[in-house]
Amino acid sequence: MKPRGILLVDDNPRDAEMTLDALQQYNLANEVTVLHDGAEALDYMFRRGEFVDRGLAEPAVILLDLKMPKVDGLEVLRQLKADPRLHVIPIVVMTSSREDQDLKACYKLGVNAYVVKPVSFHEFIEAVRALGAFWVVLNEAPPPGSHPPMAAP
Amino acid sequence: MTLQDMPIRRKLMTIILLISGVVSVLTCGAFFAYDFLTFRESLLAGFTLRGRMIAANSTAALAFENVDDATEVLSALAADPHVTAAGLYDRHGRLFARYPAGLADAALPPRPNGTGFHFDRSHLVVLTPVAQGDQPLGTLYLESDLQAINERFARYGLIVVLVMAVSFAVAYLLSRLLEKQVSQPIRALADTARAVAARRDYSVRAPRHGADELGLLTDAFNQMLEEIQALHADLERRVGERTAELAEANKELQRRRAELQSLFESLPGLYLILTPDHRIVTASDAYLQATLTRREDIIGRGLFEVFPDNPGDPAADGVRNLRASLERVAAQRASDTMAIQKYDVRRPDGTWEERFWSPVNSPLLDADQRLLYLIHRVEDVTEFVRRKARDAAGGENLRVRLEQMEAESFRNSQQVQAANRQLEAANAELEAFSYSVSHDLRAPLRHVQGYIQMLNREVQGQLGDKARRYLQTIGDAAREMGMLIDDLLAFSRMGRTELRETEVDLVRLAGEVRSALAESTTGREITWRFAALPRVRGDASMLRQALANLLGNAVKYSRNCAAAEIELGCDGEEDGRRVFFVRDNGAGFDMRYAHKLFGVFQRLHRADQFEGTGIGLAIVRRIVTRHGGRTWAEGQPGAGATFYFTLTPVPNDAP
Repeated sequence: MKPRGILLVDDNPRDAEMTLDALQQYNLANEVTVLHDGAEALDYMFRRGEFVDRGLAEPAVILLDLKMPKVDGLEVLRQLKADPRLHVIPIVVMTSSREDQDLKACYKLGVNAYVVKPVSFHEFIEAVRALGAFWVVLNEAPPPGSHPPMAAP
Repeated sequence: MTLQDMPIRRKLMTIILLISGVVSVLTCGAFFAYDFLTFRESLLAGFTLRGRMIAANSTAALAFENVDDATEVLSALAADPHVTAAGLYDRHGRLFARYPAGLADAALPPRPNGTGFHFDRSHLVVLTPVAQGDQPLGTLYLESDLQAINERFARYGLIVVLVMAVSFAVAYLLSRLLEKQVSQPIRALADTARAVAARRDYSVRAPRHGADELGLLTDAFNQMLEEIQALHADLERRVGERTAELAEANKELQRRRAELQSLFESLPGLYLILTPDHRIVTASDAYLQATLTRREDIIGRGLFEVFPDNPGDPAADGVRNLRASLERVAAQRASDTMAIQKYDVRRPDGTWEERFWSPVNSPLLDADQRLLYLIHRVEDVTEFVRRKARDAAGGENLRVRLEQMEAESFRNSQQVQAANRQLEAANAELEAFSYSVSHDLRAPLRHVQGYIQMLNREVQGQLGDKARRYLQTIGDAAREMGMLIDDLLAFSRMGRTELRETEVDLVRLAGEVRSALAESTTGREITWRFAALPRVRGDASMLRQALANLLGNAVKYSRNCAAAEIELGCDGEEDGRRVFFVRDNGAGFDMRYAHKLFGVFQRLHRADQFEGTGIGLAIVRRIVTRHGGRTWAEGQPGAGATFYFTLTPVPNDAP
């Protein structure tokens, strides 16, 4: 099954809305699944609880907040990167500051990239492009009008 | 005695006699047998012939049955004394005539048994047929004794005995003469060997008797002796030399031993050497002197037998302590330094003298770590101990004060430790607070800014000027607060993060900062002057931050100058550090407020004149202070400002 869409995990609804808004501008929002904490994210990825029957497709990329209640982003990252099947899915961590101490821990756990909040479309595309997941994400989403995706406003 | 063990002489004679005896017995026996058979043949032949003649003569008498004639014929046998009996039988086997005439019938067989001859035990009997042509007439029986044969045997036996006796005697004499040829050289050889073995005299030689194998043997034996004699002499010589050498070496050893001994004995220290079971091997003169002993009185004796505790001092524990220390040394194979011991010394007159000692005991080990000796070294500290005791009496006050001071310094250190613990806790709290600020304080700000953007997009073109200005102000305020938070975080971080010191090139850092400032200096005329600066020791990223703040300030406060000049230089030294400065020709400041410049949130300009958080210089001061330097500033309103800081230069670095 071909990977499709973006999984956004953020407990703060304002941040999530802003991220979605940024993606919306390029019609990427329809492809985004939003989850609100780490526990949900793990259930989703391992098809547990309410996500038992969610279908076969895996997200092309995961946007992961670090500070979340219940299970935090580091733990989600650790479990996904330790899974022999899921560890190939690129994970972009969202952080409040470039000097965040958690970034070090993220890289030790095998994170693929990070973006600083608020997530701008431009920054997000830079991150996924660096991951090589660019076309996987972008092909799903026809750019608005004839604008190439990089011609950010 | 068996043949093997006989002396060669007797062995040879026995062999010769045995052989000659056997040979003569065999020879005589052969002759005897041959003669016996020949004689018997001739006896038989003669007797048979006589029988035939008698038989021929008897034919007429038998034919005519004339007994007298027959008896007449038979009587002719009287000429032969050996004929013992004769009988003539007619053709019917009846005895017809007999010889001697009166012979009893029983002496003759009643009937003749065929013809021929036979020997019985002592007689030869011949039966001869009597016939006239083919006409058998009867049988003649002749019996002869064997006297002739017996006589001949007796003669023969005598001759054999004689021959053997003579030949034995001759053989004995000859062998006695000849065996010497063989046995004498062997005996001589044996005698020589015995002499060599018994006397270790390798100079004797065996006499040579001939050129036969024995002669060769003798030669070889003598040659061997000669070689042994040479080897022996050589060996003797070498043993002699070696003995002399050894004696010499021994003497040298003795001499050096004596030298070492006297060296040891005259050592200035107090030394005692003990066997592992605490017997005294030797002692230095100083030791003997200090313990009032004489060497010959103590060597070989047990240490504690020589030096017992003072029986007059019930508290004496010198023996116990010393024994324990020596046992520790033996067990651990390591030196053991003892505390000062009171170990009294007995005077020759039997009284005791109080003494204090500082002993060190050491092991002397061989290559296999076996304990050879114990070295007991002591120092006589009696004087020292006595003086201390005197001082102690007079210095009681001093002691009390010392104790008080010790107690106080202990309390102080306790307090410092407690303060340190509090400081650590406060630091940890601050860390947590900073983390919280960086994450939680930022989130609402971020949202304000984000939603303003979204709102702007949403209401694009629908707002009036006033509303747009309000939105602009809200956004600016949020951004300013974000900068404040960033600066505060940076300020806090500068105080907490560890210094990673390297050699830092300030000019290079300043160049990097200038490039980063390019965006805010576009369209301005600025003259940058970076002097050649000595390299300094410091944390590169922190010093970059300090330069960024100073040069950033210079750019900011000179922006009203038509021709701004910004200078980075180095001027003089202070406490081994170099004094650096950043100078601009900008707005300057009033020196009355100079002391406020480096405080947090301290500003000398209104925000509408020059924007800013009031933290930049506080960060600079904190960075420089952490590097051990100090900061200060000089300025004049409208005439620019100079900010000084000191840093430690890299040694031997050109300015």
